[in-house]
Amino acid sequence: MSLTESPEIISAQPDSKTRRYDRQLRLWASSGQTLLEESRILVLSSSATSTSILKNLVLPGIGHFTILDDAITSAADAGNNFFLEGPSSIGKRRASEAVRLLAELNDSVTGEAVTSTPVASVVSSLNFLSKFTLIITHNLPPSQLQTLSDTLWSSPTAPALLAVSSSGFFAEFFIQHHPHPIIESHTETPPSLRIRDPFPALLEHSKSLKLSELDPTEHAHIPYIPILIHARSLVPHDPKTQEEKNAFKTLILSLKFKQDEENFDEAHAQAYRVWTPTSLPSSLTQDIFPHLDTKLAPPAIPGIMHALLTALRRFTEREPHVLPVSPGLPDMKASTETYIHLQRMYKDQFNSDKEMFKSLIPPNPGEIPDDLIETFIRNAHGVQVFVGEQWGAFDKDVNRVGEALVVSPKDTSVHLALRAVREALENSGASEGASANVSAEEIKMHIVGMLPPDTELGEEIDKAIGEITRSPTADLPNTAAMLGGLVAQEAIKMITRQYVPQGGYCIVDCIDMRTGIVGL
Amino acid sequence: MAGSNGIASQDWAGRYDHIDQILNTPGPRTSPAFMAGDGVKDFLRNQAKILVIGAGGLGCEILANLALTGFKDIHVIDMDTIDISNLNRQFLFRPKDVGQPKATVAAEFIMKRVPGIKVTPYFGKIQDKDDEYYMQFNLVICGLDSVEARRWINATLVNLVDPENLESLKPLIDGGTEGFKGQARVILPTITSCYECSLDMLNKPTAFPICTIANTPRLPEHCIEWASVLEWPRVHRDKKMDTDDPDHINWLYTVASARAREFKIEGVTWSLTQGVVKNIIPAIASTNAIIAAACCNEAFKIATSSAAFLNNYFMLIGTEGVYSYTFEHEKRDDCPVCGGESLEMSIGPEITVEELIDMLTEKQDIQIKKPSLSSGSIQIYLQAPPQLEAITRPNLQKKVSELLPTGGEVTVTASTLPFNLSLNITYK
Amino acid sequence: MIKIWSMKKNEDAAAKKKPKVSAAQIRVQKDLTELDLPATMQTNFPDPADLLNFILTITPDEGMYKGGAFVFSFAINSNYPHDPPKVKCTQTIYHPNVDLEGNVCLNILREDWKPVLNLNSVMVGLQYLFLEPNADDPLNKEAAVEMSKARDQFLSNVKSSMRGANIKGVQYANVLVR
Repeated sequence: MSLTESPEIISAQPDSKTRRYDRQLRLWASSGQTLLEESRILVLSSSATSTSILKNLVLPGIGHFTILDDAITSAADAGNNFFLEGPSSIGKRRASEAVRLLAELNDSVTGEAVTSTPVASVVSSLNFLSKFTLIITHNLPPSQLQTLSDTLWSSPTAPALLAVSSSGFFAEFFIQHHPHPIIESHTETPPSLRIRDPFPALLEHSKSLKLSELDPTEHAHIPYIPILIHARSLVPHDPKTQEEKNAFKTLILSLKFKQDEENFDEAHAQAYRVWTPTSLPSSLTQDIFPHLDTKLAPPAIPGIMHALLTALRRFTEREPHVLPVSPGLPDMKASTETYIHLQRMYKDQFNSDKEMFKSLIPPNPGEIPDDLIETFIRNAHGVQVFVGEQWGAFDKDVNRVGEALVVSPKDTSVHLALRAVREALENSGASEGASANVSAEEIKMHIVGMLPPDTELGEEIDKAIGEITRSPTADLPNTAAMLGGLVAQEAIKMITRQYVPQGGYCIVDCIDMRTGIVGL
Repeated sequence: MAGSNGIASQDWAGRYDHIDQILNTPGPRTSPAFMAGDGVKDFLRNQAKILVIGAGGLGCEILANLALTGFKDIHVIDMDTIDISNLNRQFLFRPKDVGQPKATVAAEFIMKRVPGIKVTPYFGKIQDKDDEYYMQFNLVICGLDSVEARRWINATLVNLVDPENLESLKPLIDGGTEGFKGQARVILPTITSCYECSLDMLNKPTAFPICTIANTPRLPEHCIEWASVLEWPRVHRDKKMDTDDPDHINWLYTVASARAREFKIEGVTWSLTQGVVKNIIPAIASTNAIIAAACCNEAFKIATSSAAFLNNYFMLIGTEGVYSYTFEHEKRDDCPVCGGESLEMSIGPEITVEELIDMLTEKQDIQIKKPSLSSGSIQIYLQAPPQLEAITRPNLQKKVSELLPTGGEVTVTASTLPFNLSLNITYK
Repeated sequence: MIKIWSMKKNEDAAAKKKPKVSAAQIRVQKDLTELDLPATMQTNFPDPADLLNFILTITPDEGMYKGGAFVFSFAINSNYPHDPPKVKCTQTIYHPNVDLEGNVCLNILREDWKPVLNLNSVMVGLQYLFLEPNADDPLNKEAAVEMSKARDQFLSNVKSSMRGANIKGVQYANVLVR
């Protein structure tokens, strides 16, 4: 082949922006990157934790961030925050210093410091808050956080809130969001191969195989999908009992010409697909489809998303009650020709399912780009709507809190201690970051108030109280960095609408080095 | 507080208010060994010396965290230079630094940003340094992307442990990430499970059967491997493929694309080509931040005794919610690095190798049959293969003391041993 | 610093000191000295001090390749056994699973390698290729097609290639046992 001896080299090295973002584009692709670049983030603090979070959002390239904070850099701030310049920042506006040093990380990100507006004056301004994609807070006094949460909860189109709280080795965060549709959930469950409900072309192809007449090389390269469908035609009915299932597996192996035919071994390993029903995921049938006309009706979710989900519901209401075929085929032992042929069949079916799907889209929402429809169908098996509740709703229900303490005493104790310390600090009038003493009695009093009467507190509560009173206002560099990563990761998932964010309070215990979830 | 090295004079009042809340008071679970107050602060800020291996995605984060935590004598080793694809997460580097050594640029940045911290860079390989070098540190933190380098430093630190010298035990804290997933672990050499103990937990990179690549390609990856594994050496002979050279990637991309067209396979792109041949692992700032923070937090707790430390493995999966799992990875008795038996033997200077072997096989407690013996690069006696047996056979009649100085280490392998036995020979 | 030594039980404290030998090196010593090879396989170390690079000669005593001596080079890197040994045939031979560049198609050398396997398993796998060549998953496709479609021609090609013949423009190495 002369072509490969001296090929005419195609120079296709990507541009410098693609090269810069290469390692993350391999996760969320250009679709996720575009959403990231369009996002505007508001952070109501420039503490060490806040700047750590922002660092991990500026680096991958959000569009814009605003820090709203009227604090003056203290000696302690200058010691624990990497985005302040040591003693030379002391006495200056903390937010201005932080914005300047964060913006250095990425030229394509704009940053703004708002230092003259007190936080209290924006938490109730839906107008101001709605200019942003996501609002992040750190150790905001509970009364202000409640107002902010109420404001954002009041409008279905208001941005999501990521509320972060930390003291010493303990931390937690909570995402408050309106119904959040995720098309690309990157689920590890692969789409159905339709072995149990083969589409006509696949069924025809499999039936037409004369396995016993093939030459040995061809025989060893028939993909396991047609082998399974073929084998199914050899038994009177689908295997149900364990005995029938074992007999079916034996049947597959008996079709081998030679002992080492790996494609038949693969068919043997995948035999369960023959008797496992092609059921629709409950994330669709239970969590989405029944609610499309009620709590998921626009404006709860965007009109286009609603139209796509409606079309999907209609599609699955038709026989044989399956999702549109996904064009991706996993690798399997096969010759190039048989594999490409099979792949072509799935692609053709995908295209015809896509046309059917399109005809089922309700007329109202306007133009839906074709590539969005493709992406949606490709990922239909993993589509989710992430539905959450308002920040603090869990804590107002003493019974839920009481139950959580029984089920996961460690994590719930940390959560209660963190809630209590924020309350206590607000009551004492201590400003954020300044040293303050909080008594164990006071923390305990707040905790008791959040639990059903006469709840036995137990050892984990005592340990959590002991630890939280040790360092009530400490924003430790390592805890801040850990939160910086965890919170930014969740923020990226929310912004890109890819991967699945965490519901409930995510608890971080840096002593045992563990995380847990409370209030889900 | 007054420091002995002059560095502490740069500590402005209130600098460590946050950390001092932890260092001034024990918590309910803090060990009694914790010296709250000046004692622990003096150790952390004026005495502790810590080594960071790797100044990449994890390394940049680790250096910043350690500096803010109050470690003031930090060393960093990295053999790489800065590439544009590092800039989405390695936040101590700017576009102007591309091409410069990571260790040097990172060290300078930290020293500029965090006053009073000394960061000593070394632009080179960890294997360049000897035991004496590693002996000087209290702790080692690793943020590496190479299995081989991790195995090396792990084995080096396990070998460093001398029961006579308490200072020789260096806690090794190891972090690693891949996309939204990562892990951090604490290794106390010879006490807990080591890196080698868990080698079988590693996901190995996908490898395709070579006959698939050659004859039945189905995926774009098969075409790319055909270009890199079969065509490159066939066409370019001994010229080494440099996966950092865009011209080489262009060549592979061109060849792979042509092959894909021939077989009607879709999906060969420049980026996929580069990803397959370089075995690129997705990497983002946030995951690195989590894992680096976990590592530094353990370093801080171990160095200060201010709280219990991780026992011994933390695993994070962030693709679906925040899932983590903390568990104790068990030490393996047959671990080639930290497992195996060790035996002190004091023998007469006249004892021959053959007599030593007889002594070993007669030892009831170790049940050894047909042992093979070596010491470093010296083969003392190998039972097989025949050529090596014949070459080493004359050694059987030699005195052990002719072959080995006193205190010499002998590696004994035999099919009856779980892995190996190490002998420390002294002469009566 | 945390008092690590207090965690260590006293009886262990006696001795855990290890020689300065890499895990890969010890593992190779273990693999080589426990090799259990039939008379049809022989190792040769060009530099006996270097256990990581050697030659394996296979002289099949049955099957279609009987009478030949097939030489493979083994190169083991310091990441063994995480990485498999690199094995190549040093001669140009006519075999469905060995290409003209000396690449060998044996699953445990690539996709199915695991650290619990050892050099003995690789060598046994190589020898098996000469007893039972696999025409279904070939590396030398022409040889494979010949083997499954025209077995007599294939056998005669094997014989003449082993004598160092030129078949269809390819000069094969004379591998006959001298």
